[in-house]
Amino acid sequence: MSDTPGISRRALLLGTGGVVAAAAVAAVGTAVTQGGPTTSTTTDRAPGVRATGRTQAGVARPATPQRQALHAVLRLGGGADPGPDLRSGLAAAGATILRLVSGPSDELPDGPGDLTIHVGLGPGPLAAIDPTLPAATAMPRFAGDDGIPAGRDDGDVLVALASSDGTALRPALDAVVASLPGATTLWAEHGFRGPGQGTIARNPLGYHDGIIVPEGDDELDENVWLAHGPLAGATVCVLRRLRLDRTRFAALAEGERDRVIGRHADGRPLSGGGPTAEVDLQAKTPEGAYLTPARSHARAAHPSFTGSALMLRRGYAFDRGPLADGTADAGLLFVCFAHDLETFVRTQLRLDETDDLMPFTTPTASGSFLVLPGFDAAHPLGHQLWA
Amino acid sequence: MLSRPLTALLAACALVAVLATTACGGSGGDRSLVHVPGDVATITKAVDRVAPGGTVLIAPGVYDEQVVVGKRDVTIRGEDRDAVVVDGGGRRPYGVVATADGVRIENLTVRRTTFYGVLVTGLHDENGPSAHDGQGYTHLDPDKFPPVQRFSIDHVTATDNGLYGIYAFDANHGVIRDSYASGSADSGFYVGQCRSCDILVQGNVAERNAVGFENANASDSVVIVGNRFSGNRVGMTLISNYQEAFTPQRANTVVGNLVSDNQQADTPEQATGGWGIGLGISGGQDNVLLRNRITGNVRAGVLLANTEDLAATGNTFTDDVLTGNGVAVANVSAARAPASGNCVTPAAAPTLPADLLADCHGTQPTGTLPAVDVPAGTSFLEVAAPPAQPSMPDPGERGPLPATVTMPDLDTIPVPAADLLADLAGTAQGSS
Repeated sequence: MSDTPGISRRALLLGTGGVVAAAAVAAVGTAVTQGGPTTSTTTDRAPGVRATGRTQAGVARPATPQRQALHAVLRLGGGADPGPDLRSGLAAAGATILRLVSGPSDELPDGPGDLTIHVGLGPGPLAAIDPTLPAATAMPRFAGDDGIPAGRDDGDVLVALASSDGTALRPALDAVVASLPGATTLWAEHGFRGPGQGTIARNPLGYHDGIIVPEGDDELDENVWLAHGPLAGATVCVLRRLRLDRTRFAALAEGERDRVIGRHADGRPLSGGGPTAEVDLQAKTPEGAYLTPARSHARAAHPSFTGSALMLRRGYAFDRGPLADGTADAGLLFVCFAHDLETFVRTQLRLDETDDLMPFTTPTASGSFLVLPGFDAAHPLGHQLWA
Repeated sequence: MLSRPLTALLAACALVAVLATTACGGSGGDRSLVHVPGDVATITKAVDRVAPGGTVLIAPGVYDEQVVVGKRDVTIRGEDRDAVVVDGGGRRPYGVVATADGVRIENLTVRRTTFYGVLVTGLHDENGPSAHDGQGYTHLDPDKFPPVQRFSIDHVTATDNGLYGIYAFDANHGVIRDSYASGSADSGFYVGQCRSCDILVQGNVAERNAVGFENANASDSVVIVGNRFSGNRVGMTLISNYQEAFTPQRANTVVGNLVSDNQQADTPEQATGGWGIGLGISGGQDNVLLRNRITGNVRAGVLLANTEDLAATGNTFTDDVLTGNGVAVANVSAARAPASGNCVTPAAAPTLPADLLADCHGTQPTGTLPAVDVPAGTSFLEVAAPPAQPSMPDPGERGPLPATVTMPDLDTIPVPAADLLADLAGTAQGSS
């Protein structure tokens, strides 16, 4: 049955599929820096990324994620009352972001380049504003979450920065955090990505990640952005800092590694097709075994089993050097976006039950956030929460 | 479980329709009876020629073709069940596919297809090949593809087919009766994706399949009675599946079946490792099981599990024989979707965990089945041939199939004997 016709999960789940490449190109082509010059004092700055609009930058634009990122999770000051302080703090943070990306600044003398910054709120402040808000409920505990250190799984605010220039990230983060009175950083992770086109890049285990994601406006609208109401253009982000046992994984024979993933190292599914082909979940050997193995990550994570939306994934590798026991504190900062929290929750619960990749992962930080809708000078960041 | 290749077939069908105008449509043809090969050489040509309501009568022979019956109230009938063979050759996806209302398929054998031996479904695209690139996880849109109405599969043998032997989905008001399926790499019989299905599955034999009988998301008025689902890797399953329409599966009536000795090695493997299980209920709800004989399954007679967040709930077993299994009933549901309300009367033992049935009215405790070494699978093309199967008596003159199925009087169905339909089963005759 390896000669079965190629299938398109995207076409079926999403009803589209032919416009992806064109839309991605258009997104890059229309990128402009809001309000200021896109050039800078050096000649090799990456082109700017539009900061304003219906959605925040750095989620779906640029279409190819910048190679460097800094994700910071904050605790808000002032107790549980999110009231006016949070509202004014978010507005100030948004104003800071617009200032940073509009041209050379004290923090970024060479200009912003392709810096993007987006901000999200965790379940604590969301529930305090309105318990019915999307992502206002904390995620359940997943397998291994018991080992996450205190303070690394319940943050109030996410500030996510990405840039081609890793040195731009920290000054910009400090400026944004300073805009939020009383906020302190619970944890932050510098991440880096290998080269790639679109969201596809090699992960720390040597396999491609981000192969099947929503692309183009139609797929993003259907899967990623909240569609209706005052929060249209928001999205739900889940961060999972996953230490990976790369040494043990690498010690597997190549074929065994491929069976854990469900694809070859060059991206080709074990069920056939090219490096960006979708896996065929039904194809079997004549003896009845799935070509995409029953406990492979590609099968376990497939949204069809949970009836879920397709997650946008833009993860980053991290490496903090050796732990006390000599193993590396290195792995993947998993970053996903979807229009509801359940998409990730249902998928992770399934992975805990059926994914042979999970024994190679150890969660070391976790969080869910509502990435707020887009903003501009006239519409402050977060104002929709009180609409 | 899925209908993946169907759209490709129907796209091809639509293309043929453009060229020939009759191959797949509901019109054309004016003959009330067409003989194959007496009048035309192939069954497909006979379907072209026959009038709606007519009969294609097939003489003994091996027919290397796949047949789409898109014409209302047509009967496809073999003259000799064992000797009229539609052969997929190990490369064609289908044997006989019915997409029109009122089709009868009877008294013939379909073998060696890569997907389905016999298929009845309403999922067909009248707009032609536009969907040909999207045949993957076809989330059936029941408004766009209303279920096909009225079907009968009777005295059909389906053997050595790559996924399913005899398969109905998006179909209502039908009967699968007195048929036989073996060598299926997924399931011998499969009913899926319907509500208020009004489908009767009666008197069939499934052996040497990965799964004997499977139901995914077929709910209400599915009546499964007097079948032999023995000598497979898993006897039968009632499952909810988010990959298809109409979750959750619920409210089937399962009466007087023999579900025994389902640890047959000379079959394709069950792709998720199923072995030694009589009846598996995964996310199935409110099914009613009466007077079945579920015996000799080495791991569990009945296995309860969740499908993602869908729990196995409210299934009732009354006066079933649940003896000689590894455990009579096991519950392996995950904590996120605990089984509840599954009652067995009279109580069966042993169970996993031991107190599984102590109070069936609330959430039920869960356990883990011991791991087993599952034997490697046999190619579906190399599974043993079925023993001789009886031909269907001459039905004489018949009108169109009725609008609804006449269900048997379930009160008269006893617990079956341990040798139910054994004369039709190779695994019951020591020939494995």
